[in-house]
Amino acid sequence: MSHANSSTTWGFLTVLGCDEQGLIGGYLVLNQSGRPLEFHCTAPVKANRAQQILFGPTLEPYLYGEQIGQTLVSKASAAPSVVYTDVPPALALREFVEMPVALVLTDGEAAEPNDSPAAASPVWRVDRSHHLAGGVMFALGANRLAVAERHRADQQTILDRWQAAEAFDLAEPFGRIRDAIAEAQRPSRA
Amino acid sequence: MRLPRRSGPAVREATMESQAGDLTVPVSVFPTGWQAGLARGSKIKVLSAQLSGASPGVVSLPLRPKSAKFAVRSFFFAAPHEAAEPATAPERVPFVPMMPRPPAADQAPADRAPAVASEAGAQLAAVATKLTRIQPPRDTIRLEDRLFYCLQPPLETLLAGDHLDFPFHPFGYQFEGVAFLYPRVAAILADEMGLGKTMQAITAMRMLLRAGEIQSVLLVCPKPLVTNWLREFALWAPELPVTVIEGDQARRTWQWQLAAAPVKIANYELLQRDSASLDPTTLRFDLVVLDEAQRIKNRTGNTSQAVRGIDRRRSWALTGTPVENSPEDLVGIFEFLSPGYLTPGMKPRRMGQAVSDYILRRTKDKVLAELPPKMFRDAEIELTAQQRATYQMAEDEGVLRLTEMGEGATIQHVFELVLRLKQICNFDPATGHSAKLERLAADLEEVAASGRKAIVFSQWVDTLRQLAPRLAQFRPLEYHGRVPSGQRDGIINRFRDDPDCHVLLISYGTGGVGLNLQFAGYVFLFDRWWNPAVEDQAVNRAHRIGAAGPVTVTRFLALSTIEERIDQILRDKRELFDTVFSDVAHHSTGLSQSEIFGLFRLRSPHGPIDMAA
Repeated sequence: MSHANSSTTWGFLTVLGCDEQGLIGGYLVLNQSGRPLEFHCTAPVKANRAQQILFGPTLEPYLYGEQIGQTLVSKASAAPSVVYTDVPPALALREFVEMPVALVLTDGEAAEPNDSPAAASPVWRVDRSHHLAGGVMFALGANRLAVAERHRADQQTILDRWQAAEAFDLAEPFGRIRDAIAEAQRPSRA
Repeated sequence: MRLPRRSGPAVREATMESQAGDLTVPVSVFPTGWQAGLARGSKIKVLSAQLSGASPGVVSLPLRPKSAKFAVRSFFFAAPHEAAEPATAPERVPFVPMMPRPPAADQAPADRAPAVASEAGAQLAAVATKLTRIQPPRDTIRLEDRLFYCLQPPLETLLAGDHLDFPFHPFGYQFEGVAFLYPRVAAILADEMGLGKTMQAITAMRMLLRAGEIQSVLLVCPKPLVTNWLREFALWAPELPVTVIEGDQARRTWQWQLAAAPVKIANYELLQRDSASLDPTTLRFDLVVLDEAQRIKNRTGNTSQAVRGIDRRRSWALTGTPVENSPEDLVGIFEFLSPGYLTPGMKPRRMGQAVSDYILRRTKDKVLAELPPKMFRDAEIELTAQQRATYQMAEDEGVLRLTEMGEGATIQHVFELVLRLKQICNFDPATGHSAKLERLAADLEEVAASGRKAIVFSQWVDTLRQLAPRLAQFRPLEYHGRVPSGQRDGIINRFRDDPDCHVLLISYGTGGVGLNLQFAGYVFLFDRWWNPAVEDQAVNRAHRIGAAGPVTVTRFLALSTIEERIDQILRDKRELFDTVFSDVAHHSTGLSQSEIFGLFRLRSPHGPIDMAA
């Protein structure tokens, strides 16, 4: 098994939806031992009425990927090798950054094969909504990942360069982000 | 030609005549200007009618702002050492390579799970079904510090990533114990004996050292337990160099100042002796751990003052009995952990709330469903006739004397009488008769016949020495204060390994804590200690992780004697503490002065006795 070099860092992006407050994004940068290096979180973000109407089904990718994801990644001092997310709309971040962005699929995530026989590798629809109309799904160790159809080359990049991630449960850090956001949202203890 | 007229009858009557005529029409062309007119553009007059009124207004919606308009909070954490094994060690810790370990079957299980040995690392992460997260202590104020702990990976991941090897796969609750200690500046790990406090503390120290969060540790323990700690460090953290403070004064002074030793072990007595000569300005530890921390329950005692005098950043206390005699014991321990946090006289419930985030206590019945059962039986002994006569005479005389002393009777006077009577319950000093011995010998025959081993506890070395020759058929071994320290480990090893040695005679004072005797299936409490916590500690020498089968505990109780009265008081107090300290200090109190006076229906010098025997 090949390992990434010692300066390898991974980014983990998630967005929590709070009905009243809006969306809160969290971005955690880990070293390859899984220890935290940076953490960034947004204030609540809420789409206005016009955005809701006019973005239609593209609103979530816009908010998750372009607005929240791009902003958070730009705040980080470390440039991770891969950004993982557990929310499909955040895959839209890939349009604004140079590094691969992969969706970490959980057991409950629906996935059905695309009928396209011409696909070079299996192409799956992971369409809980319209976020990932077409995605390339693949396995990395015990993790199931998907990259956007438009960036299918990211699959090979991830497989070639980041096999160290095989040993990790890539879904685990998202729990840390959720806990940290909850902690940051608490009233001050001082 | 003349054309006929087109009128009726006149035409019919006319005759045809022709007349030639010149039909040529003279044509002449002359310029009129029309061609030029055709080539000219038309002159069209356009009339505009205003149909729509004013121009419509335009509303621009800022759907895609160029820059985000929401705030982002950023937290940066100091980069820890990288995962590669040598680099994870603190700079001052010279790590040595991991040593290969003997197979599990060859080891006496000590503070470990009877699980299959694991190579840890990736395997550890693979087998772990539950991930253990580090939670920030409640007294962590800064959000950045709290997030630092929130964002740490699960312990299982950390251990695998740092290549921390374990000889045995720890239980989930042990990971939780490590996660409890790891972030805390002040903590009491108060697990019931046998749950592996030692392993949990060593693992937490190991992780902190390797993460570079601490660089110097002082462990203080009772002298008989030093070798036990050394053994456990070798087992659970073999790469950590451990220095035992010992030897003459010059050597100890050098050892105290030895900067290259990340872990130092000192015993309480030695620390007390050396405390005056230690220079607090140069001697500082990142972490001080007290084993059997109930030793410092007396805030004014020399031991307490000695440990409190050590300059340190973190303070941990390990004890199975955070409250031995009263909740005030906890105040004493907190004077070491966080001076002034608890105050004497605090109401127990308020104290319990105040310390809840500082104390972690688990009992076997809660966390170890797989631990073999512990079965108690009270052996109620009728004294022999000779013993009874001696006992009765001693009690009558003693009570009479105390009564005659009146207000001059002190707790020491009463205590002496209690001890005297308890000794008679063991052996009649006049005849050497012992009803307990007879019962013990009978039970031991069964133990020996089944190839099992038993440990027998007594408060007195003399009692143990009286027992030894009379139990010779069971090849008894002795482990108490009169056995030189250097021989004690050998005795334990022989008891474990020699199939002919069925009995270990052991004193509460010397062998009640720290020993791992889980290969013994029977425990006999030949006489009773003053408080049940000490008895529990003794019993748990055998009933602990690694015990191969159920542990049978036989508590000898001489009927109609002082032992029966003490037992009743202790039972009552267990119930009381179960009510007050449901989780913190489980039934672990001794007898008060009033209660000791009350054993003989005497009045305490401080007032009447409410609780008569």
